[in-house]
Amino acid sequence: MKRLSIYVVLLFGLIVIGCAEKKMVKQQPEEYQPTVTVHETAKRAPDTVDVQPEEKIMEQRFARIESKEEALRYTEEKDVFEDIYFNFDEYDIRDDAKPVLENIATWLLKNKSAIILIEGHCDPRGTNEYNLALGDRRAHATKDYLRALGIASNRIEILSYGEEKLLCFDESEECWAKNRRAHFVVLKEARQ
Amino acid sequence: MIRKPKIHRLQFKILIFFLLLVTSYGLLLTAVESKIYIDITSPAFKKLPIAIQEFEGPLGRDISAIIENNLDFTGFFSPVSSDAFVENPSQEFNPKNWLPLGVEAVVKGIVKQDNELSAKISLYDVIEGREVFRKEYRTSRDLMRPLSHAIADDIYFKLTGEKGIFRSRIAFVSTKDQERMEIYIMDWDGKRITRMGISGNIILPPRWSGDGTKLIYSAERNRQWGIYLLDFLNMSEKNIYASKGTNMAGNFFPDGTTFSFSSSKDGTPDLYVKHIKDDQIIKLSSSYGIDVSPTVSPDGHYIAFVSDRGGTPQIYIMHRNGSNIRRLTFEGSYNTSPSWSPKGDRLVFVGQRGKNQIFTIKPDRTELTQLTVSGNNEDPSFSPDGRYIAFSSDRDGMKSIYIMRANGESQRKITPKGLVAFGPNWSPK
Repeated sequence: MKRLSIYVVLLFGLIVIGCAEKKMVKQQPEEYQPTVTVHETAKRAPDTVDVQPEEKIMEQRFARIESKEEALRYTEEKDVFEDIYFNFDEYDIRDDAKPVLENIATWLLKNKSAIILIEGHCDPRGTNEYNLALGDRRAHATKDYLRALGIASNRIEILSYGEEKLLCFDESEECWAKNRRAHFVVLKEARQ
Repeated sequence: MIRKPKIHRLQFKILIFFLLLVTSYGLLLTAVESKIYIDITSPAFKKLPIAIQEFEGPLGRDISAIIENNLDFTGFFSPVSSDAFVENPSQEFNPKNWLPLGVEAVVKGIVKQDNELSAKISLYDVIEGREVFRKEYRTSRDLMRPLSHAIADDIYFKLTGEKGIFRSRIAFVSTKDQERMEIYIMDWDGKRITRMGISGNIILPPRWSGDGTKLIYSAERNRQWGIYLLDFLNMSEKNIYASKGTNMAGNFFPDGTTFSFSSSKDGTPDLYVKHIKDDQIIKLSSSYGIDVSPTVSPDGHYIAFVSDRGGTPQIYIMHRNGSNIRRLTFEGSYNTSPSWSPKGDRLVFVGQRGKNQIFTIKPDRTELTQLTVSGNNEDPSFSPDGRYIAFSSDRDGMKSIYIMRANGESQRKITPKGLVAFGPNWSPK
């Protein structure tokens, strides 16, 4: 008796749930019908309007923030050295860059208090984040070359600008080649 | 007389009780169903012809126009032109005025303006010949657009059963003169552009937290790359990561206090995760080359990222702990900028095919689809419901922000002429 009643309950439950699920399956209209797909709504009272409670529309007001300006650590001397250039999508030091880097290394060995900042740049054909990473690799490769020439690591800062600081904007091989560069800035401690 | 043992009677009662429980559960499943007007999950739906009558009262025309524009953009509705209307907005609804036009739903509204703005709207079902939805709203006078968007969301929900995106926002970056960049926020339709006051020499696209209360972004200031958090709740900006090297924010995990990022502090760009609360940093990848652009999946289990470990920049997916790395993109030699749909069922990314174009793909590598063809199209970001994509494009000359449906239809510029805008990120709600 006990086992039978359990089976009856289970069977009944499956039937009821099965019926309900069938009603939830969405029907595809086969021939032209108005867009409306009416499901069986026998349980719903006819002609009720869905009246929603009144809503007050509110919004957080954004107070403006001003970013804090941080004090400059260094003053910068630009254009002391010429730029060196890279091939498309590469960060290897080219042969034509080596004399420039040797010149820089010689200068740094003489001016022992100077620090040099290497900026890595790209042409704009790629996407911004990947180009920032590529510019970073170019600056790092340049730093590694200078270290191999005897310059201490703590005298070389690097910074990637990706494609964010373009020298020219034309879509030409000549302009793109100009942008694929490492640029050198001499840093001196800022006076307080 | 044989007395029936008490225990059988008890068993019988339990049986009846259980039967009733199961029956009422089954009935409940049928009783809560309501009418679905458009099944937007079906691949072969027909657009619903809808008439949005000009609302009566001050600003009525503006409000109803915004609602119509919103519904039209979804691609699920065909708004019928008011030239064809027979019934005036002030006349009582009569289905006989609408059936011949093929209109199936009608929206009417009345607006009042005193020290506040209030609106009362009704939605009518033409086939059933009656009003099916009514609601009142009030708001302050300067929030006419959010009011219109709220009404559009409610109509959209009533007719499709899905939550609309009309009150969502898009964060983006613009250049302030030639030297600096700034973060802005605007409505999803390009209106109410607001400066946040966050600037830097360079700012990378900000990304929303899952609850919409924070933005995370990278900024280069004074020759240093830092990762910053803008918290809307207390309107503060905080530096949450700084080191030597190029530091680029990814996005938040669902918990809102852990985020992914890339940094070249150890020599080459690698992937990391940081827990803001206890300052803990975990390194996830360490390849010889470049690993960047980590983006956490909506469920927090996976991270998609860009790597050149295979020789060229391609998109990979891995477990959040850095294991199980598998490659996602195999076509083309330059695929970057991945971003997940909030539904988790696909990613959008940029593939270089000559110029940069927007593609979507499923995490199992199937259904690779190209969505754009002209100009350079970058920085794609999905809407909260996964149905639309915002992106930047220079197809008209200057970088501007566009939106489109996730299948590539209806591409339209939303930022004004003359504003250089890029790096859009769609809010989570």
